[in-house]
Amino acid sequence: MRPDDRELEDEIRSHLELSIRERIERGEDPRSARQAALEEFGSIAAARDSMHRVWYSRWLDATLLLFQEIRIGLRSLLRTRGLAITVIVTLALGIGANAAIFSVVRSVLLRPLVNRDADRLLYIRQTAPGIGTEDLTFSMPEIGDLESRVKSISAFGDFSTVDFTLVGFGGEPRVVTAGVVNGSFFDVMGLRPVLGRLINSSDDGPNAAPVAVLTHRFWTTVLHSDPAVVGKVIRLGPGNATVIGVLEPSVPYPAETQIIANVVTSPHHLGATMQKERWHRMTELFGRLAPGATLEGARAELKAVHASMVHAHPESYSAQARIGIEVKTLRDQIASPARTILLLLLAAAAIVFVIACSNVANLILGRSVRRESELAVRAALGASRGALRRTLLAESLVLCVAGAALGLLLARPLVAVAARYAARFSVRALEARVDGSVLWLGAVLAVLAAVLLAYVPRLPSFDRSSALSPAAGGIRITPGTNRRLKIFAATQIACSFLLLVGAGMLVATLNAMSTANTAYDMRQVLAVDVPPPAPGAGGEATNSFFQEAMRRIGALPGVEGVASGMVVPWRDEWSSILKFQFGFEGYHPAEGEENPTCMFRPVSPRFFAVLGVPIAAGRDFTDGDRLDTEPVAIVSQSVAQRLFPKGEAVNRHLWLDSRTGLEPTPRRIVGVVADVDDENVVQVPTMTVYLPWRQFGEPSRLFVRAAADPYALVPVVTRTLHELSADQAVERPATLEDVRTQVLTPQRLNAFVFSAFGGIALLIAVVGVAGVLAFSVGARTREFGIRLAVGCEPRQLRAGVLREGTLIAATGILVGGLGGVALTWVARRLFGVAQMPGVLPIAGAAALLVAAAILASLLPAVRASRVDVIQALRSE
Amino acid sequence: MTRTSDDPRLDLLQGTLDMLILRTLRWGPQHGHGIGQAIRRQSEELLKVETGSLYPALHRLVKRGWLKSEWGVSESNQRAKFYRLTPSGRAQLIREQDRWSQLVRAIGQIMNPTPAAKE
Repeated sequence: MRPDDRELEDEIRSHLELSIRERIERGEDPRSARQAALEEFGSIAAARDSMHRVWYSRWLDATLLLFQEIRIGLRSLLRTRGLAITVIVTLALGIGANAAIFSVVRSVLLRPLVNRDADRLLYIRQTAPGIGTEDLTFSMPEIGDLESRVKSISAFGDFSTVDFTLVGFGGEPRVVTAGVVNGSFFDVMGLRPVLGRLINSSDDGPNAAPVAVLTHRFWTTVLHSDPAVVGKVIRLGPGNATVIGVLEPSVPYPAETQIIANVVTSPHHLGATMQKERWHRMTELFGRLAPGATLEGARAELKAVHASMVHAHPESYSAQARIGIEVKTLRDQIASPARTILLLLLAAAAIVFVIACSNVANLILGRSVRRESELAVRAALGASRGALRRTLLAESLVLCVAGAALGLLLARPLVAVAARYAARFSVRALEARVDGSVLWLGAVLAVLAAVLLAYVPRLPSFDRSSALSPAAGGIRITPGTNRRLKIFAATQIACSFLLLVGAGMLVATLNAMSTANTAYDMRQVLAVDVPPPAPGAGGEATNSFFQEAMRRIGALPGVEGVASGMVVPWRDEWSSILKFQFGFEGYHPAEGEENPTCMFRPVSPRFFAVLGVPIAAGRDFTDGDRLDTEPVAIVSQSVAQRLFPKGEAVNRHLWLDSRTGLEPTPRRIVGVVADVDDENVVQVPTMTVYLPWRQFGEPSRLFVRAAADPYALVPVVTRTLHELSADQAVERPATLEDVRTQVLTPQRLNAFVFSAFGGIALLIAVVGVAGVLAFSVGARTREFGIRLAVGCEPRQLRAGVLREGTLIAATGILVGGLGGVALTWVARRLFGVAQMPGVLPIAGAAALLVAAAILASLLPAVRASRVDVIQALRSE
Repeated sequence: MTRTSDDPRLDLLQGTLDMLILRTLRWGPQHGHGIGQAIRRQSEELLKVETGSLYPALHRLVKRGWLKSEWGVSESNQRAKFYRLTPSGRAQLIREQDRWSQLVRAIGQIMNPTPAAKE
């Protein structure tokens, strides 16, 4: 459609011919006719351009030109395929990693929640800095106080988790984690049902019918989205409940649950302890801001009401614990644990991108030096600086767009991996998807890289006389270019160093954690969850069930011992609620002084023998320690040493602090055992008091010591338990060693991900250093030739190149180290804490990089020493 | 092409070139040179169209769909690009002619008021 320039010129020519012929016909001399016609026409080029401009806008022209350049660029890149592929893959890694991490960050930190008006949905909690906890839940009396007096929050929703044994929906009885909520919970959360209805105020109170709502995940994965589920009656713990609806997909906060039930389903929630005891904190609290109220206003009012509540009940709030209240939006609450790790990941991804870019910059710089003569010729023929830059930009655009495209292809699987990884820190990560915004990010990164890369190479000097001379002599490297190459290589080393030190730190921590000594026998002990149908439902029946189960399992072949308790080390995170204050013989707290706190663990006889914890003094519990015999206790060595530093702990007495709401019966200490820390994988001296299971608590965990492979016992143990009670759930059998491994999964993943980043960085950096040296050696062929000709030893040349490589690495490490110190300083300013890496990770990373740099310079060094003297000298 | 102040030829009024081209092509196809000559002749040498503005104007009119162009052979047997009025170009010519006569009347009223203008 659009006439091209040739057609426009044709038209002008025909006009001139017509004009000339007319003049000749009028009798003019042909020569002067031609002259006059041309004169009358004026500038041919100007006429052509103004016709051209009718059809082509300036932008269109520029774009067409760029396309033309891109076509040329593509062709020239096809000739240097190896380089192109290296560049594209390097960029793809950098862009892919960034896109994946960005997707996860966006879904965790930036995307809105499905909850209605999520900005006004609050998460409220108590803090007790005095006893080192930032996250204290609420008791029902506390919630009652807040509910009746706080006006800036229009409604409160409460939520506590309970493990129920669920029978129904076919299959074996299973333990489900259930949320127990009040009637306003769903309204406060602003969630809707996808099926049936949700729990509302008519389901509140002890006289309502027991009902349950299924979470979307449970409904879709376990029940295959069965639409007929509403109205079904299931057994939930001790009683029946009717399924009334299915919740819409939403962030499972505060806990991943399968079922959410009303209060009447849980005997524990109806009990006096739950209802009356101010210390019995197991409930999470949510609130909705009243119309017109602000978060700051609500915070101030909550603090005021809370302070007066604490003041009114001094017996329940020790001054030492300094119990306070905090509120934030649910969105912030959900995102906060993941924020640090995600920002770290983002930083790591950004560093990888920088490394990738500087490596690509090096490759491109090297290439552009090789074609300096080509550019010089073009400049001499009148190409403007702009035109030369356009050529370079076209080529780097081709490379970067290809890299970005490949990177975005990579992003999809990477997002899946990263999402599963980040889900350990924030449930929202599971929502992460690759979508339009990631494509935008990829495009922006690609263009950014392309523009940067186009401006990296130096344009040929516009002093034409000197510019043309290299055309004859192959590559000539200028000191400036060489310096730039080395700067980029050092940048890569510096960034790799940072990543490697970070990865080394995490690996060292992980290593320390997974090999830390514990007093437990890690390999031979199998821990099994044998939960009672619902907390508070068991009593004496549970005790006799366990008694009989232990007797039968103990008699099985291959079983060396069996014991019960309430806590599987490390795995049962709720165990910290078994932490109480206590008093002891010969200790009289001064005014305002607090009784000490420690862990309380109800265990069966032979618990210590089964788990391999040595008894240091006194005796173990026996079957004779029952509710109707003398109250006794066994303490850990830390307790014995700290409380009774002068003498024997055995036969002294201790008792639970009456303010805990438990019986303050004096208990005689009958034994002292080694310290074990069942909360932290890295053991710290722990004050623990063990009580006989018949006198305190309710067993829910079995420990079986195996003679051979513990897992071989799992089927027979399960069968034995089912013989006793067909509906008994038996779950999560694992050796203590595997429990620890499982608990360390997030750390392992952290270490793995950062090592992967470090590995990629190292790989790219090695390619980078090798490339720079190969290039610098290639450019100095003549120099090496002369040096060899005048009697220089090849060995010396090799050493020179190796020295060059090591120098780049050393510079990089130094800069990286300084950067690291700066980063630590920034992190400390921003987050308050920053761990300095140990000597080992730093030294390790430095050694690794120097070794890699030497390795990378070996090949170029060998090439330098094998330069053919004659060939080299002839080349000029 | 410079012109001295005593040159009797007139500058074209802004925006009238398009109209003149359309008008010239009313009787049949013509090439660019012919159009320029025709305008000069019909204006009794008073209007002179610069080729530098004639050709862009022709292309503009083609782009807007008022003219169509095709290569052909001139009466002197030379290859030349001929422009032809399209139906929409004809309609445009009528619109421009109306507008032009209104403009002439309006300006005429101001420059040479007649008693009719007072009504």
